Amino acid sequence: MERILLYVEDTPGMPAAVAWALKLAKGMSCRIIALAVIDPAAPRRRDAPTSDIEERAWGLLYEIEDDAFQQNVRISLLLEPGEPLPRLISLSSSYDAELIVASADCRLTTSELVRQSSRPVVFVK
Amino acid sequence: MAKISELLPRSAIVLDLQSKEKFEVISELVRPLLATGAITDEAEFVSAIVRRENMESTGIGLGVAIPHARTKAVASIVLAFGRSDSGVDFSSLDGKPSHLIFLIAAPEEQKTEYIMTLARLSKLLRKDEVRIGLNKAGSPDDIARVILQHES
Repeated sequence: MERILLYVEDTPGMPAAVAWALKLAKGMSCRIIALAVIDPAAPRRRDAPTSDIEERAWGLLYEIEDDAFQQNVRISLLLEPGEPLPRLISLSSSYDAELIVASADCRLTTSELVRQSSRPVVFVK
Repeated sequence: MAKISELLPRSAIVLDLQSKEKFEVISELVRPLLATGAITDEAEFVSAIVRRENMESTGIGLGVAIPHARTKAVASIVLAFGRSDSGVDFSSLDGKPSHLIFLIAAPEEQKTEYIMTLARLSKLLRKDEVRIGLNKAGSPDDIARVILQHES
Protein backbone atom coordinates (compact mmCIF):
# COMPACT_ATOMS: atom_id res chain seq x y z
CA MET A 1 0.00 0.00 0.00
CA GLU A 2 1.32 3.46 -0.92
CA ARG A 3 -1.35 6.01 -0.02
CA ILE A 4 -3.94 6.32 2.74
CA LEU A 5 -6.56 9.06 2.51
CA LEU A 6 -7.37 10.33 6.00
CA TYR A 7 -10.66 12.23 6.13
CA VAL A 8 -10.31 15.02 8.69
CA GLU A 9 -13.15 16.54 10.70
CA ASP A 10 -13.27 18.37 14.00
CA THR A 11 -14.96 15.62 16.04
CA PRO A 12 -14.13 14.04 19.42
CA GLY A 13 -13.19 10.77 17.71
CA MET A 14 -10.72 12.34 15.26
CA PRO A 15 -7.55 11.91 17.39
CA ALA A 16 -8.12 8.14 17.52
CA ALA A 17 -8.51 8.00 13.74
CA VAL A 18 -5.34 10.05 13.28
CA ALA A 19 -3.37 7.82 15.65
CA TRP A 20 -4.61 4.67 13.91
CA ALA A 21 -3.81 6.02 10.42
CA LEU A 22 -0.33 7.18 11.48
CA LYS A 23 0.46 3.81 13.02
CA LEU A 24 -0.67 2.00 9.90
CA ALA A 25 1.23 4.37 7.59
CA LYS A 26 4.38 4.01 9.66
CA GLY A 27 4.11 0.24 9.68
CA MET A 28 3.57 0.06 5.93
CA SER A 29 5.91 2.94 5.00
CA CYS A 30 3.17 4.65 3.06
CA ARG A 31 2.06 8.26 2.63
CA ILE A 32 -0.97 9.86 4.24
CA ILE A 33 -3.05 12.37 2.36
CA ALA A 34 -4.94 14.29 5.04
CA LEU A 35 -8.09 15.79 3.56
CA ALA A 36 -10.46 18.35 5.06
CA VAL A 37 -13.52 19.45 3.08
CA ILE A 38 -15.37 22.68 3.75
CA ASP A 39 -18.94 22.71 2.61
CA PRO A 40 -19.89 26.31 1.76
CA ALA A 41 -23.57 25.35 1.78
CA ALA A 42 -23.55 23.74 5.23
CA PRO A 43 -25.57 25.53 7.90
CA ARG A 44 -23.35 27.09 10.54
CA ARG A 45 -23.61 29.09 13.70
CA ARG A 46 -23.76 32.87 13.32
CA ASP A 47 -20.54 33.20 15.29
CA ALA A 48 -18.58 30.86 13.03
CA PRO A 49 -18.00 32.51 9.65
CA THR A 50 -16.55 30.47 6.80
CA SER A 51 -13.09 32.01 7.24
CA ASP A 52 -12.93 30.78 10.87
CA ILE A 53 -14.02 27.29 9.81
CA GLU A 54 -11.33 27.28 7.15
CA GLU A 55 -8.68 28.42 9.63
CA ARG A 56 -9.74 25.73 12.09
CA ALA A 57 -9.57 23.10 9.35
CA TRP A 58 -6.04 24.18 8.40
CA GLY A 59 -5.12 24.09 12.07
CA LEU A 60 -6.31 20.49 12.34
CA LEU A 61 -4.40 19.54 9.21
CA TYR A 62 -1.17 21.11 10.43
CA GLU A 63 -1.51 19.45 13.85
CA ILE A 64 -1.76 16.11 12.07
CA GLU A 65 1.20 17.04 9.88
CA ASP A 66 3.27 17.85 12.96
CA ASP A 67 2.36 14.51 14.56
CA ALA A 68 3.22 12.71 11.32
CA PHE A 69 6.57 14.48 11.15
CA GLN A 70 7.42 13.46 14.73
CA GLN A 71 6.66 9.85 13.79
CA ASN A 72 8.53 9.92 10.47
CA VAL A 73 5.39 9.42 8.43
CA ARG A 74 5.19 11.09 5.03
CA ILE A 75 2.15 13.32 4.62
CA SER A 76 0.44 15.74 2.24
CA LEU A 77 -2.32 18.14 3.24
CA LEU A 78 -5.39 18.96 1.21
CA LEU A 79 -8.21 21.38 1.97
CA GLU A 80 -11.02 21.43 -0.55
CA PRO A 81 -14.33 23.25 -0.80
CA GLY A 82 -17.44 21.29 -1.69
CA GLU A 83 -19.90 18.72 -0.51
CA PRO A 84 -17.84 16.36 1.69
CA LEU A 85 -18.99 12.92 0.53
CA PRO A 86 -18.69 13.42 -3.24
CA ARG A 87 -15.39 15.32 -2.82
CA LEU A 88 -13.94 12.57 -0.65
CA ILE A 89 -14.91 9.87 -3.11
CA SER A 90 -13.70 11.84 -6.09
CA LEU A 91 -10.36 12.76 -4.49
CA SER A 92 -9.71 9.24 -3.26
CA SER A 93 -9.86 8.25 -6.89
CA SER A 94 -7.84 11.23 -8.21
CA TYR A 95 -5.01 10.59 -5.77
CA ASP A 96 -5.25 6.84 -6.14
CA ALA A 97 -5.67 6.23 -2.42
CA GLU A 98 -5.80 2.55 -1.55
CA LEU A 99 -7.61 3.03 1.75
CA ILE A 100 -9.88 5.66 3.28
CA VAL A 101 -9.69 6.22 7.04
CA ALA A 102 -12.30 8.28 8.88
CA SER A 103 -13.43 8.75 12.43
CA ALA A 104 -16.48 6.66 13.39
CA ASP A 105 -18.17 9.86 14.59
CA CYS A 106 -17.59 11.80 11.36
CA ARG A 107 -20.57 13.68 9.96
CA LEU A 108 -20.61 11.77 6.70
CA THR A 109 -23.33 9.23 6.07
CA THR A 110 -21.05 6.28 6.64
CA SER A 111 -23.24 3.74 4.86
CA GLU A 112 -23.27 5.98 1.76
CA LEU A 113 -19.49 6.32 1.85
CA VAL A 114 -19.05 2.56 1.99
CA ARG A 115 -21.63 2.05 -0.75
CA GLN A 116 -20.25 4.69 -3.12
CA SER A 117 -16.52 4.27 -2.59
CA SER A 118 -14.52 1.90 -4.75
CA ARG A 119 -11.85 1.93 -2.01
CA PRO A 120 -12.00 0.08 1.29
CA VAL A 121 -13.03 2.31 4.18
CA VAL A 122 -12.03 2.01 7.84
CA PHE A 123 -14.00 3.87 10.51
CA VAL A 124 -12.00 4.24 13.70
CA LYS A 125 -13.69 4.40 17.14
CA MET B 1 -1.01 36.47 18.76
CA ALA B 2 1.05 38.43 16.24
CA LYS B 3 -0.33 39.11 12.79
CA ILE B 4 1.32 37.59 9.71
CA SER B 5 2.31 41.08 8.60
CA GLU B 6 4.06 41.66 11.93
CA LEU B 7 6.06 38.44 11.63
CA LEU B 8 7.42 39.24 8.17
CA PRO B 9 10.34 41.69 8.23
CA ARG B 10 10.62 43.81 5.07
CA SER B 11 14.26 42.71 4.82
CA ALA B 12 13.09 39.09 4.45
CA ILE B 13 10.97 39.78 1.36
CA VAL B 14 12.68 38.63 -1.85
CA LEU B 15 10.72 39.76 -4.91
CA ASP B 16 12.89 38.01 -7.48
CA LEU B 17 14.19 34.66 -6.28
CA GLN B 18 17.25 33.62 -8.25
CA SER B 19 17.24 29.96 -7.28
CA LYS B 20 15.29 27.37 -9.25
CA GLU B 21 15.57 24.38 -6.93
CA LYS B 22 13.63 24.19 -3.65
CA PHE B 23 16.55 23.69 -1.25
CA GLU B 24 18.43 26.55 -2.91
CA VAL B 25 15.29 28.69 -2.58
CA ILE B 26 15.09 27.80 1.11
CA SER B 27 18.72 28.87 1.61
CA GLU B 28 17.99 32.11 -0.25
CA LEU B 29 15.10 32.80 2.15
CA VAL B 30 16.98 31.79 5.29
CA ARG B 31 19.83 34.21 4.53
CA PRO B 32 17.96 37.46 5.29
CA LEU B 33 16.45 35.92 8.44
CA LEU B 34 19.91 35.41 9.95
CA ALA B 35 20.37 39.16 10.24
CA THR B 36 17.15 39.46 12.26
CA GLY B 37 18.59 37.25 15.01
CA ALA B 38 15.48 35.04 15.00
CA ILE B 39 17.47 32.07 13.70
CA THR B 40 20.31 31.26 16.09
CA ASP B 41 21.80 28.25 14.33
CA GLU B 42 21.62 28.28 10.53
CA ALA B 43 22.88 24.73 10.00
CA GLU B 44 20.43 23.22 12.46
CA PHE B 45 17.51 25.22 11.08
CA VAL B 46 18.26 24.31 7.46
CA SER B 47 18.65 20.68 8.49
CA ALA B 48 15.19 20.77 10.15
CA ILE B 49 13.62 22.35 7.07
CA VAL B 50 15.26 19.82 4.75
CA ARG B 51 14.07 16.95 6.94
CA ARG B 52 10.50 18.23 6.73
CA GLU B 53 10.69 18.75 2.99
CA ASN B 54 11.80 15.16 2.60
CA MET B 55 8.79 13.95 4.62
CA GLU B 56 6.07 16.31 3.47
CA SER B 57 4.93 18.27 0.48
CA THR B 58 4.82 21.85 1.68
CA GLY B 59 3.39 22.99 -1.64
CA ILE B 60 -0.27 23.61 -0.81
CA GLY B 61 -1.38 24.11 -4.41
CA LEU B 62 -2.49 27.26 -6.27
CA GLY B 63 1.19 28.13 -6.86
CA VAL B 64 1.93 28.46 -3.13
CA ALA B 65 4.46 26.69 -0.89
CA ILE B 66 5.02 27.10 2.85
CA PRO B 67 8.25 25.38 3.91
CA HIS B 68 8.39 25.41 7.70
CA ALA B 69 10.18 24.06 10.74
CA ARG B 70 9.88 24.22 14.51
CA THR B 71 13.26 23.82 16.13
CA LYS B 72 15.56 24.90 18.96
CA ALA B 73 17.58 26.81 16.37
CA VAL B 74 14.89 29.53 16.31
CA ALA B 75 14.45 32.19 19.00
CA SER B 76 11.13 33.68 17.87
CA ILE B 77 8.56 33.05 15.12
CA VAL B 78 9.56 34.76 11.92
CA LEU B 79 8.61 34.57 8.24
CA ALA B 80 10.37 35.14 4.96
CA PHE B 81 8.71 35.55 1.58
CA GLY B 82 10.04 34.91 -1.90
CA ARG B 83 8.51 35.22 -5.36
CA SER B 84 9.67 33.17 -8.31
CA ASP B 85 8.64 34.00 -11.87
CA SER B 86 9.67 30.61 -13.21
CA GLY B 87 8.23 28.65 -10.28
CA VAL B 88 9.81 26.03 -8.05
CA ASP B 89 8.85 22.39 -7.59
CA PHE B 90 7.66 21.93 -3.99
CA SER B 91 5.90 18.60 -4.77
CA SER B 92 2.43 20.13 -4.62
CA LEU B 93 -0.41 17.64 -4.89
CA ASP B 94 -1.76 19.60 -7.86
CA GLY B 95 1.58 19.03 -9.63
CA LYS B 96 2.09 22.73 -10.33
CA PRO B 97 5.20 24.78 -9.49
CA SER B 98 5.13 27.26 -6.62
CA HIS B 99 5.58 30.96 -7.37
CA LEU B 100 4.79 32.37 -3.93
CA ILE B 101 6.91 30.89 -1.16
CA PHE B 102 6.56 31.69 2.53
CA LEU B 103 9.11 30.22 4.90
CA ILE B 104 8.13 29.91 8.58
CA ALA B 105 10.67 29.46 11.36
CA ALA B 106 9.40 28.77 14.87
CA PRO B 107 10.90 27.90 18.25
CA GLU B 108 10.52 24.31 19.41
CA GLU B 109 8.34 25.22 22.38
CA GLN B 110 5.83 27.40 20.49
CA LYS B 111 3.76 24.65 18.87
CA THR B 112 0.37 26.36 19.21
CA GLU B 113 1.55 29.67 17.75
CA TYR B 114 3.34 27.78 14.97
CA ILE B 115 0.22 25.79 14.01
CA MET B 116 -1.93 28.93 14.19
CA THR B 117 0.49 30.87 12.00
CA LEU B 118 0.53 28.07 9.41
CA ALA B 119 -3.28 27.87 9.47
CA ARG B 120 -3.81 31.63 9.15
CA LEU B 121 -1.27 31.95 6.36
CA SER B 122 -2.73 28.99 4.44
CA LYS B 123 -6.22 30.47 4.71
CA LEU B 124 -4.95 33.86 3.56
CA LEU B 125 -3.14 32.43 0.54
CA ARG B 126 -6.19 30.57 -0.74
CA LYS B 127 -7.83 33.90 -1.47
CA ASP B 128 -7.47 34.78 -5.16
CA GLU B 129 -7.15 38.50 -4.43
CA VAL B 130 -4.23 37.91 -2.04
CA ARG B 131 -2.27 35.82 -4.54
CA ILE B 132 -2.98 38.32 -7.32
CA GLY B 133 -1.85 41.15 -5.05
CA LEU B 134 1.35 39.34 -4.08
CA ASN B 135 2.12 38.57 -7.71
CA LYS B 136 1.60 42.19 -8.75
CA ALA B 137 3.38 43.87 -5.82
CA GLY B 138 6.33 46.00 -6.86
CA SER B 139 8.09 46.40 -3.53
CA PRO B 140 8.41 44.80 -0.08
CA ASP B 141 6.11 47.53 1.25
CA ASP B 142 3.47 46.53 -1.30
CA ILE B 143 3.76 42.89 -0.19
CA ALA B 144 3.29 43.90 3.45
CA ARG B 145 0.33 46.07 2.49
CA VAL B 146 -1.42 43.24 0.62
CA ILE B 147 -1.05 40.92 3.60
CA LEU B 148 -2.13 43.52 6.14
CA GLN B 149 -5.15 44.48 4.05
CA HIS B 150 -6.48 40.91 3.93
CA GLU B 151 -5.69 39.80 7.45
CA SER B 152 -8.79 39.61 9.58
